[in-house]
Parts: sequence; structure tokens; C-alpha cells
Amino acid sequence: MGAVHHDLAGEPTFEPMIQIDMEIRNFVSAWRHCDYVSTYVARMISQTRSDSVRHSNLFSSAFNELLEVAFRTRHGDGELACRVSRHGATDRIELTFPCVAEERQFYKEAVSQVAGLEARERYVSSVSGDIAPSREIVLLELAVDYNATLRVEEADGDAIKLVVDLPLEGFEH
Amino acid sequence: MSPYSLLPRFKAQYDANSQEFSLSGVVRPQAIDELAPSLALLRDAIARVRGVLYVNVRRLTQMNNAAFHAFSRIIIDACRARPDLKFVVITSSVVGWTSRKFSRLSGIEPNITVEEYDSEFYPGQGFLEEGGFVPILRTQTKMTWRHERAILPRHGMRPGIVMADICCGIGDFAVLVQKEFQPSRIVALDHSMSSLNYARQVMREFDIRGIEYTYGDASEMLLDEAQFDLVTCRHSLQIFNRPELILKELYRICKPGGRVYITNEKNSHCLGEPRAESIRWTYNEVAKLFGHFEMDVELGPKSRRYLIETGFEDIRVETFMVTNLDGDPQDFADVIVAWADVYAGEMAVRRGDGPEFVARFRQGFQDHIFAALHPKGYAGWPIWVASGRRPQ
Ligand SMILES: C[S@@+](CC[C@H](N)C(=O)[O-])C[C@H]1O[C@@H](n2cnc3c(N)ncnc32)[C@H](O)[C@@H]1O
Repeated sequence: MGAVHHDLAGEPTFEPMIQIDMEIRNFVSAWRHCDYVSTYVARMISQTRSDSVRHSNLFSSAFNELLEVAFRTRHGDGELACRVSRHGATDRIELTFPCVAEERQFYKEAVSQVAGLEARERYVSSVSGDIAPSREIVLLELAVDYNATLRVEEADGDAIKLVVDLPLEGFEH
Repeated sequence: MSPYSLLPRFKAQYDANSQEFSLSGVVRPQAIDELAPSLALLRDAIARVRGVLYVNVRRLTQMNNAAFHAFSRIIIDACRARPDLKFVVITSSVVGWTSRKFSRLSGIEPNITVEEYDSEFYPGQGFLEEGGFVPILRTQTKMTWRHERAILPRHGMRPGIVMADICCGIGDFAVLVQKEFQPSRIVALDHSMSSLNYARQVMREFDIRGIEYTYGDASEMLLDEAQFDLVTCRHSLQIFNRPELILKELYRICKPGGRVYITNEKNSHCLGEPRAESIRWTYNEVAKLFGHFEMDVELGPKSRRYLIETGFEDIRVETFMVTNLDGDPQDFADVIVAWADVYAGEMAVRRGDGPEFVARFRQGFQDHIFAALHPKGYAGWPIWVASGRRPQ
């Protein structure tokens, strides 16, 4: 990778790769949009990775889970924005989507839990549990199985932005 | 965006003979009801089997958490209800997320084990996969290219096409094709990390563009259907114990109307003068030696049948002979030296051949080299080229 750029705050600069926006109303009209968007974006951004085919499969797998999370929003108005940018081996997904106030609170808590200890134990116990995986578990799994780091950012209006960093290049199973 | 297929994009199967439940394709349901028939099949399989149930997810390319949970629950519950039963989940080293995700299950229930399917499962493949063969492949490709560059256009090669080279080895063929024919894209796949690393290094050093190297298993590729105008697979069908499985995959990724191009040998037909007899004896033995490891280096003339049986049409077959008269005879001799090293070396030892056999076996290679370097000698290595078109 070329020179590392740092912005003023000291955080490395992520170079934008692709952005896809759509009406949330449109997005939630068909479940297969999750699969579409994750597959398409994965292919586009993986072409410059050292193993494009495997990278694309991994990226799509992780990204689809995030899109499925967004799909379950209870807010029916506004825009879904997916942005992918890159710094070295890390791909950053920024997923902004409308959601109701409680959901915003929920995501903040869920993401703060992901960072906590025992993330793995909690994830594993959910697999053997009765209930289908909640949105919290889905986020947890990204951290546990893909080494993702997650954070939540405020967004304009009734929206939330999930920022997920995926260090997939060189990912060994 | 590619057209979304309305067909179910995954398959669940149970094979009672091998007690194997397998899932393949993309499993991303919105609701678990969509999986009902597959879940019922798994429950049913569990009810029938004794001892071990194999759960094969090698060809599972995508599965969302909802589906993973649904299948996992059935397996975990079965472990609890039937402590006599063991589950072996077989994942693929190619699909990066499967081993991690499924290995969580073994932490939950000790009766579940997760195994990554890998090259060691292939008979005899170890000889060819790592390290030792690299120098042979280089020189071989250099010699075959002189012929193939003229042959390829008769089998669908032309500028601008999208092509795949499956079992690409160290990538020399892909690089030569890129320079000579300028396809718009080449995907080159192999199952040897060391070969791919080498290929990528060459690509960086020579600033070659347009080739994407990917780690994969030719019998279960992550590549999408119907996306290549030309799929090549050179000198490789002959190393698999079931070449028809690889051909099915080559067919699958080839576009309707596109072609699949294969090259193979018939080792017992390697020849030379003088010392023809000794040379013939040794190469007959080469064929038997590979046969011992379930590899068919006599496959060349069977290409036509294989292609027809896979469903190809407009089959074209031709042969060419690499000889000591093409370019530098020393190149030819170098290849034989390398063959002798591996065949009369590691492979013969592994088969348990005695010193007397090995001495005679080596002699034939030496005689072939002698013929190649002899001022009046002639030495040859015949190759069968075949291609077929995938019907529209
Ligand atoms: C005899 S070499 C031929 C290489 C190259 N096509 C050439 O002509 O030089 C066979 C190649 O098949 C690869 N191979 C073996 N098993 C494989 C598999 N299951 N999937 C993909 N490639 C495989 C090996 O790593 C090796 O590079």
C-alpha cells in the first residue's frame, strides 16, 4: 500500500471506494435487495484486493448481515446510504439508515457491548439459544468472526450511522 | 447488477450411503419458513443415521445468521437428545468464513467436530502442489507455448474475451496469454498458495495488469456461473482422480457459446531415438506410477469422450509434439531431469519401489536426455489439446 495519509485528528484517511444510496422504502420492499447490494458492492471493491474472489465472498458475507440489520428498521422514511472506503488492509463500511428513537438507543447499547469482554461467550451462547439471532447478536458476530470493529455515529434526522471496519485482507480462516 | 435468479439459490441433499447431509449455494432467507424443506431433510437424516452424520458445507458460499442458527439448533438439539451420535462438519479452506463460523459449534457440543477439507484429501496430490514442481512448470510452459500460441485461436482465444485459467500453477500461461492475446480479464485459480504467491510476485515485478489470481479448489469454485468466454485447464485434469467433477465446474463457469480448453498428456507415448526401447519402458512405468496414486497421465486421447460426456458440443481435438528441436535442446533435457527427480525420487519411494527398479526407471529418463542432446537424436513429448463449446 502506498503512503499513509493522516488527517488533522490523527486518524488515517480512508479513501472512498463506492457509495450506494436508495430510499429506505424502496430498499425494504424486497428482501433480496440485501443480497443484491452486498454482492454487487463486494465485487466492485474487491477487484483490487490480492485475492478478489475470496475477498468478495468474505466482504459480501459480512456486509449482507449489516444490510439485513438495516432492513429490519421500524422507520419507513428517509434514505439508506452505504459507503465503503479503504485504508490499507481495512475496508470501512458506513451504513446510514433511518430508525426510530428507541432503535437508536438500542444500537448505541449494542455496539458498546460488542466492544466489551465476553463478546465471544455471548455470541456462542446465542447460537445454542432458542431465539433467532437478534440484531445485537448479528453485530456481535461481525466482531467475533470477522475481527470487525464497530461504532455508532450520529446522523442527520431520524437516522443512525453504523461504522464498521473490516480487516479482511490477509484474513486467515 | 447481475440478473437475480428466481430459482432457489441453494440446495440441501442427503446421501444415505455416505451418511452425508450437504448444503450448497447461497442461503440467505428472510424467514426460517423458507428453509422448512431443508430443515426437515436434516431432521430426517438425523433420525436415520447411526454413528456419524457428515454435514458437508464445502459448497456453501453464503449463509446468513438466521439460517446458520436454524441449522445449528437442530444439530445441537440432536447432540443433546442422542449422545451416541457424532457430527462432523466439513468446511472448505477456500470459503473464508465457514471454518470460523462452524467451529463455534464444537465449543458448544463436544460431539460436533469441524474439519477443513483440504488438499491432503486428494490422492497423491501432495507431490504436485508444493514447491518442487515450480521449475518444471516454468520450462514446460515455455516449450508448450511455442505450439499453443498458434493453436489457441482455433479454440476460441481472441482479444477482449473474459477468460479463466483453472489450475493456473505459477501463472506463466496467464502472463503469456495476457501479452499475446490481450483478453479483457483473466481470472487464474489454483489451490497452491506458494504458486499463487509466486505468480503475484511476478505480476508485481513486471507490472502486469488484468490477471486476478485466486486461491480455490477446482472442484468447488467460488466463481459465478456462465461468466467466461474461454476457460482453460492445462495439464491438470490428469492429476485428479475424478476429472469429470472438474469438467463439470469448468462447464458451469463457461458462458453458453463459450469454450472450455484442456490439455493433457499420454505419458507412455513420450519417445526418443536412439535408445527407443529403454525410453518406452520407462514412460510406460511413469503411467503406471501415476496410476498407483490415482492420477491418469494417459488422459490425453480420452479428452474427447470426457468433453462429450460433460455436455459440450463442437468438440475439437488436436495434438502437438514438444521436441528437442523446438528451441534449445537443453530445455527439453532440463524438463526430463526434473521429471526424473520427482518420479524416480519421491514418488517411487512413496510407492515402495526397490533400488533395482529405480535404477532401470532412471535409465530411461537418462536415455531420453541422451536422445534429446544427441546431434542426430530426436526426443518428443506429445500433448493432446481439446476444446468443446457449451451449448447455448
Ligand atoms: C500439473 S500442474 C499444471 C499447472 C499449469 N496449468 C501448467 O500447465 O503449468 C497442476 C496444478 O493444479 C493445481 N491443483 C491441484 N489441485 C487443485 C485443486 N483442487 N484446485 C485447483 N488447483 C489445483 C496444482 O497446485 C498445480 O498448480
